[in-house]
Amino acid sequence: MGLSSAATTTTPSDLLKFCIFDLRRGQHEGEELEKILFFFPADLPFPAQLSVIGLSEGLITFTRIFSPEAACEVIEADMHSHVFFEAEPDIWMVMVVAKSKETEAIWRIEALRSVLKEIHSLFVMFHGSIRVLLDKEPGGGLTRSHLFTFIMDYLTDFLTGNKFTLPNFRDSLKERGTVQMLTVGREAAIEVQSLVGVLDSCMANTLGYSVILFQDLLVSTTLTPDDTTNLFSYGTLRLTPRILSSGGTSTWSYLRKGNVPSQAELASRSANTLSALDGFRDPSSDNYRIVRPLQHGKWSKGKDGFLVTDIWGVEVGNLVPTTPTLWLQQTEHKMYLCVYQHKSLTIILLIPVTSMLNGEEGISMLKQQLLENASAKIFKVEEKLAKGWGGENAYHVKGYRYLLVDGDRNISRASPPGKVTTLAKESLLALNKVREDFDLEKNRGNVDAVNHEKDLEICIRAKNNAWVIARSTRGKQLYILLEKANETLLYASEAVEKFSDRYCNGAFSLD
Amino acid sequence: MASDSSYASPSSDEEEESAGQKPTVDVNINSIDTSLDAIENQLSSIALNAPIDDGTVSSTDYHEEPVSEIDDGSLRESVSERRRNSIGESSSSRGSGLWRNNLEVGVELEPEGDGSPSSPSSSGYAGERGSSSSAASASDTDVIREIRENGSSMGDDGVVPLDPAQAQWIRGKRHADEDDGSISWRKRKKHFFILSHSGKPIYSRYGDEHKLAGFSATLQAIISFVENGGDRVKLVRAGKHQVVFLVKGPIYLVCISCTEEPYESLRGQLELLYGQMILILTRSVDKCFEKNPKFDMTPLLGGTDAVFSSLIHSFSRNPATFLHAYTCLPLAYTTRQAAGAILQDVADTGVLFAILMCKDKVVSLVGLQKASLHPDDMLLLANFVMSSESFRTSESFSPICLPRYNPMAFLYAYVHYLDVDTYLTLLTTSSQAFFHLKECRIQIEAVLKKSNVLNEVERSLSDGGMRIEDLPVDPSANFGSLFHLNQRKIATNGTVTGVGGPAGLWHFIYRSIYLDQYVSSEFASPINHPHQQKRLYRAYQRLYASMHDKGVGPHKTQFRRDDNYVLLCWVTQDFELYAAFDPLADKGVAIRICNRVCQWVKDVENEIFLLGATPFSW
Repeated sequence: MGLSSAATTTTPSDLLKFCIFDLRRGQHEGEELEKILFFFPADLPFPAQLSVIGLSEGLITFTRIFSPEAACEVIEADMHSHVFFEAEPDIWMVMVVAKSKETEAIWRIEALRSVLKEIHSLFVMFHGSIRVLLDKEPGGGLTRSHLFTFIMDYLTDFLTGNKFTLPNFRDSLKERGTVQMLTVGREAAIEVQSLVGVLDSCMANTLGYSVILFQDLLVSTTLTPDDTTNLFSYGTLRLTPRILSSGGTSTWSYLRKGNVPSQAELASRSANTLSALDGFRDPSSDNYRIVRPLQHGKWSKGKDGFLVTDIWGVEVGNLVPTTPTLWLQQTEHKMYLCVYQHKSLTIILLIPVTSMLNGEEGISMLKQQLLENASAKIFKVEEKLAKGWGGENAYHVKGYRYLLVDGDRNISRASPPGKVTTLAKESLLALNKVREDFDLEKNRGNVDAVNHEKDLEICIRAKNNAWVIARSTRGKQLYILLEKANETLLYASEAVEKFSDRYCNGAFSLD
Repeated sequence: MASDSSYASPSSDEEEESAGQKPTVDVNINSIDTSLDAIENQLSSIALNAPIDDGTVSSTDYHEEPVSEIDDGSLRESVSERRRNSIGESSSSRGSGLWRNNLEVGVELEPEGDGSPSSPSSSGYAGERGSSSSAASASDTDVIREIRENGSSMGDDGVVPLDPAQAQWIRGKRHADEDDGSISWRKRKKHFFILSHSGKPIYSRYGDEHKLAGFSATLQAIISFVENGGDRVKLVRAGKHQVVFLVKGPIYLVCISCTEEPYESLRGQLELLYGQMILILTRSVDKCFEKNPKFDMTPLLGGTDAVFSSLIHSFSRNPATFLHAYTCLPLAYTTRQAAGAILQDVADTGVLFAILMCKDKVVSLVGLQKASLHPDDMLLLANFVMSSESFRTSESFSPICLPRYNPMAFLYAYVHYLDVDTYLTLLTTSSQAFFHLKECRIQIEAVLKKSNVLNEVERSLSDGGMRIEDLPVDPSANFGSLFHLNQRKIATNGTVTGVGGPAGLWHFIYRSIYLDQYVSSEFASPINHPHQQKRLYRAYQRLYASMHDKGVGPHKTQFRRDDNYVLLCWVTQDFELYAAFDPLADKGVAIRICNRVCQWVKDVENEIFLLGATPFSW
């Protein structure tokens, strides 16, 4: 059956199991299947699915005996890690991944959890919360259909060949769920600022928002940090020029692997995904119109520079695609999504649906306005940014491999992936461990609420003589790997100090 | 009765661990006088019952009818009575009675085990009168009354006059009234459970095992559920809580903790807990489960609660528990040589190991040719001896198993306290060796007294070892000996509280890889309070775990700075150094100080370590 069977023949279900279940459902004997909202692989026999969910549910209950405020987060077994995430009250996502040294399946739990978080955030952005969907249609068919298509579309990004490649220790210098910014010069910043002003005026009194990306980097946003992160994720997943032009050739991105499958493959996969759904559908739910915002190859650039997609359907009669909509996380406002692209510059506009009284017609007017009033500015900004940009390795710092995370602003910057690949496996494994250490400290801080961000500094000289350095201060974290450094601790510390002074405004400097 | 001052403050520590709940002070049974013949019977039954009753006792559910079984076993005392009796005593009685009958088939007992009824027992020793105990639970009031009738050392009203030192260390089970329904139980910071693979509770740190049967079954269900899926559960994390699992054949061990200790440390603690159980029972107990999966082990461990709780207590107070090394009492080289020489003489007469210890520190130790003693075995043995009250008051001869030496067989330990803190342990493979070992002890004791070793030991104990404030600041200075300084200090101050070391040095631990020994500095300001000491040990534990990571370790150097400390660690081929500084300490200076510490340790190594005097070469 469909994708799942295709996947399981080549990748045993053992490598990845992924489920979403609702503890409020299926409380009576014989109704246990009601709990399951999503299960991958879908063709796993129900008893096996229920066994995964049973264990998860059991441990959630068990751990609450001792830790009522924070239930089960992870189960570590000899061969698998079970990663838990309570996405919404009583709605749990659990991912079971097989460990293996040979296949480099050495995970950092928080990195896997951030995948779960990203899936959920994006899902909510397009479909609203799972609970609301369940309330809308208590049978659950609607929710299951949406979750299934959405997550399968999302997971295809992790497919290399027939295997899922989840973020492992080699991704230790990346931070999912954060935004990567473009550093702009003063002059360009002023230009960008003025463009934002123009965009605002185009949206006039509609209280819209704008997000500007250059390549895969954020230039400007008027959204809240959370919504920015979600939109940035979606942008880099499906909208940026790299993605639109991908024959899978351009691979540059900080976070995304450039393994976009070929169009033919995508088409077959889409078909498979849908047929796989059959196993889940109850007969009455055949008529769900499922929007698949993460479906591959569905966005393209129109003649006027605006990106178009038929994901959200086509207006009856005139074949004009319906304008996409999404939900803002905090305000829960429904917004129209308009994307304009000029060369490397992507401009995302969000306009409240409620303020567009005349719907699609209003959107076309707005687009027209943008073309008339902002084009010149957009061209100019693109040119300026392109001129100032140093290319893929713009943020490489010689001798350093680093990751800088600003937790308060949800921003990260890291050594370019091409440079990280030069690191020895041992160094990355050591860093992976230190990051786990930091993750634990951070979680403790979160549980405490008081003493939220502890200052912490760790310098380790590993077996292979690499220095692994991690620092955390005032919500910021800095991770550095030095492979060709001198053997003394003082030398390593000085190197970090220099880096901090130069690239972090001295945030990690001690003196 | 001797009080164990190394546990002088646990009651306040318990408060820390028990989320602010004050431990209820149960009536403390100071001394239970056991009748001579009871002990005699128990001990002789070690020799007698085994071969005779072999196979006559069915292993099924015998625990439900202990009395009749015991009668079969020709013991006058009932199991329940024995369980309430002294640990030391039950340690010897363990060898007797029913479980032994079951075990015996599998136990590779020494041939001497088949001996005669006149097999030696400690009852031959006049001083055994106080052979005593502690493990009585508060609810056993009728037993208390019985005991009082026999007892000589109790107050008239049967309530023990609370000796302050005693009152603080309530041995045995604490909070026995709790179960998994109690809020207070759920809030305890660190639980330890031992259960059987069928889910029967064997030991719980807090609460009554029998009331925890349901909880125990849940733990078993989790383990076997994952096992049925072809995997093995190691750890569950929830917020600040970690649930750590360890499966040892039919024995399951679980720790539930919110102490922020790393997984590796907690797992190591479970390994030690298992080792402690093996020390008492040997791994032959596995065979009981092969015969009867529902075998109930609790009677076998009756009265040993104090041994386990004392071990658990030491997890956050004794670095030996995570360093896997032992430490020596600082002594002048010649003093230790003298002690070693007499132990060696004894070892040559067929004693497997002769160990002279002062609290948890080794004075000297000697092993028979090629026999080597693992530091973990020493830790478990010392804990067993120190936590069993009866060893203090009488010489004892008890079957024990050294899990790292041979987990399947019993050895026999002759234990005798030479003074309040110093005790001699002689280990042999022969269950008949009591009188020989007693002779040895008398000989050793005489020599030690004559050569003034015991006085030196006592003095060293009160003087303490390496003090960070004595760290030579001049790098060229050779320190020579620890002892001049300590004497001088006492002469001038009268007291010996440290004031902290140079450049913000607060504490250090130095572990010699080849010697399997470590030395740690005395605690000084500002690490004065037991809470602070516990916190520092836990920080060391974390550092140790991070340095020795199984996947990527061992690392070479680590510098770690948080709100509490600067910690520095070096791991080389020869030694490991762990040092704690003021969190504001300067990195460069701290490194220099660490170099000095290493030099200092080397300068005085023949006083702080036991060097090459034994055939210990591993």
